[in-house]
Amino acid sequence: MGGDKFKIILSLTPPLLIIGTLFFGGILYGFLQSLGYQPAIQKYDISFDAYYNVMFSERYAKLFWTGLGLNLWVSFVSTFLAAAFALFGALAIRKTFFAKKICNFIYSLNLPMPHLVVAVGMIFVFSQSGLLARFFTQIGFISSPSDFPVLVKDKYGFGIILAYIWKEAAFFFIILMSVLQSLGENFEELAQSLGANKWQRFRYVILPLVMPNLFSASIIVFAFSFGAYEVPAILGVNYPQMLPVMAFEFFLNPDLNARSEGMALSMIIALIVMILVVIYFRLTQSKIRKD
Amino acid sequence: MNNKFKFVTLAIVSLFFSRFASAEVAPGFNTWDDVKAAADGGQVNVYMWGGSDAINGFVDDFYGVPLKNDYNIALNRMPLAGTVDAVNQVLSEKEAGVTGDNGNIDLIWINGENFWTLKQADLLYGPFAAGLPNSQFVAWDNPAVNLDFGRPVDGMESPWSSAQFHFMFDSARNDYEDMPRNYGFLTKWISDNPGRFTYIRPGKGGFVGTRFVKQIFFELSGGHEQWVGPYNEELYNKWAPKVWALLNSWEKDLHRGGETYPTNNAEMHALFANGEVDMSFTQSPRGAGPTNSAGTTPPTSRAFAFYNNMIGDFNYWAIPYNAPNKAAALVYANLVLEPTLQAAQVQPANGFCCGWGISTAKVTSSDGVAAIQDAQNNLGDAAEDQGILARALVSDIAAEYQDKIEADWQANVLLK
Repeated sequence: MGGDKFKIILSLTPPLLIIGTLFFGGILYGFLQSLGYQPAIQKYDISFDAYYNVMFSERYAKLFWTGLGLNLWVSFVSTFLAAAFALFGALAIRKTFFAKKICNFIYSLNLPMPHLVVAVGMIFVFSQSGLLARFFTQIGFISSPSDFPVLVKDKYGFGIILAYIWKEAAFFFIILMSVLQSLGENFEELAQSLGANKWQRFRYVILPLVMPNLFSASIIVFAFSFGAYEVPAILGVNYPQMLPVMAFEFFLNPDLNARSEGMALSMIIALIVMILVVIYFRLTQSKIRKD
Repeated sequence: MNNKFKFVTLAIVSLFFSRFASAEVAPGFNTWDDVKAAADGGQVNVYMWGGSDAINGFVDDFYGVPLKNDYNIALNRMPLAGTVDAVNQVLSEKEAGVTGDNGNIDLIWINGENFWTLKQADLLYGPFAAGLPNSQFVAWDNPAVNLDFGRPVDGMESPWSSAQFHFMFDSARNDYEDMPRNYGFLTKWISDNPGRFTYIRPGKGGFVGTRFVKQIFFELSGGHEQWVGPYNEELYNKWAPKVWALLNSWEKDLHRGGETYPTNNAEMHALFANGEVDMSFTQSPRGAGPTNSAGTTPPTSRAFAFYNNMIGDFNYWAIPYNAPNKAAALVYANLVLEPTLQAAQVQPANGFCCGWGISTAKVTSSDGVAAIQDAQNNLGDAAEDQGILARALVSDIAAEYQDKIEADWQANVLLK
């Protein structure tokens, strides 16, 4: 028994060390910098000035709160819609039909695509000088490319949402397919034999069965889209600006004092995401206990 | 008495000169021969923005070869996405306690705020610039050279080349004669051509846009002279509201009604190349030449400058405090100032972007003068008349204005 314990500790140590140093070390160091502790430029005073500046100072308050609003809007809408699209897609093709393999392939195709590539692709297709705008001008649907509606680099974040839906739907799809595959059709057939119609089978049988996985995948997607930089950097406008982009601009400022604000903003983003993870953890724990 | 006085004077003067003779050419090196001897057989790690194949190729061909053949130094060019990456690396090395000759970077291509960051944190080696033999060709008495964004260079960086703000247009869409030649006419041009103009958002990564706005201050206030010297809050506050009012008056006729602005040169060039706007900005004395040959602007693009207030500046090489091979770094910084190599960087066929780092008038050797003449004659039709550029040239102003303009533009134009 003691030998087993030793083995467990031995095999857990390397990953724990890596997580400990890289993750908590990084967070701790970032937190120190956000408090204004920067030995490189002889700043050792600790204060919450940077947090105050980012959230309430005249210069940044408006940018921060509109940015937070945009962040929540983009993450909620894109997560919800991506999950919905993936759910209906998965339900439609989970039963064997002639094009199942092809559909499966097409649905999962954009999973290995980097977000950066997807964002640049969106520009090529949907911008006012993009493929669609030029095509519609060519066939006389609109008189000049600039009449094409603003779909990317728009202030409501439609371009960002579109890119996330396109990208994350594939992630949801893979997860849902594996759940649905493992469930088989016994539950549904049973419900059908008891007189449940199509909607009832979906609402009271399928949905409760896939919900835990759908929910945990949603948390992952939400947390990712809340903190990711590249898509909003490419598809966003200067104002309102999503928080990760704002944080990176602080970091780019050659004035080293601005680094504290950048780190403070990163800490705020991390805090929000961590709260979400805790909620997720609680919910799955209570689910496991119920089972 | 008189003799005694003479003697003392002589003693002082000779003392001064002996001090001068034994003075170091750079910290740790007494003579230039010492530098060359220490550099022999080493490697120089050059960290520079690597986004242009033309510039990368130029450095490899024109510096890598003579370094190897004449000095037995291997050139190791490290491309960066942005100079700030090198700044962050030096900063991290400092925080990690990497000192002496144990760093990774020998040279950084640098200017402006990045230079100030390293200088402010005391992370540079030097002063070394005046000790380089080829420093004789540098116009150190020119404020555009000895001040970098209004902050003193103090010998902590040595010039490489120069740039000057002006504009590009597409000769397939517009005529050279119709282009505006000051901000007053630009205002009229914008209202006559709604949706066809935008500018780079002043802010981090978009200093060209900040420069564009700075020049409005010069024109509205009636001249650049009063802006030279230390930061003047009163002067700024007097003119800033008028500048924001002018920019806001443009807004409805800007590209996309001023809802968003390009954040850097690449985005601006893309809008211009896609035909969404009719003007772009350039910093090259060759005008549209470099971007035309790189294919990022239409081949019919040409340059034009306003007749006044076009800001020009220099870019430099700096050596981090913990550079592993400081001698080789010094040899490199000296080599790039060689008159024939300076002429090569202006020669359009070599594809480099920028202008002179030296004052060409200081060159007397016959091959240097000939190379300079030849380069001047080959600038081509993608460039603006060099006389117009020279007459419009003004230096950049104190760095405090930069941050102030970026913050206030955001508050008064973007967020209003």
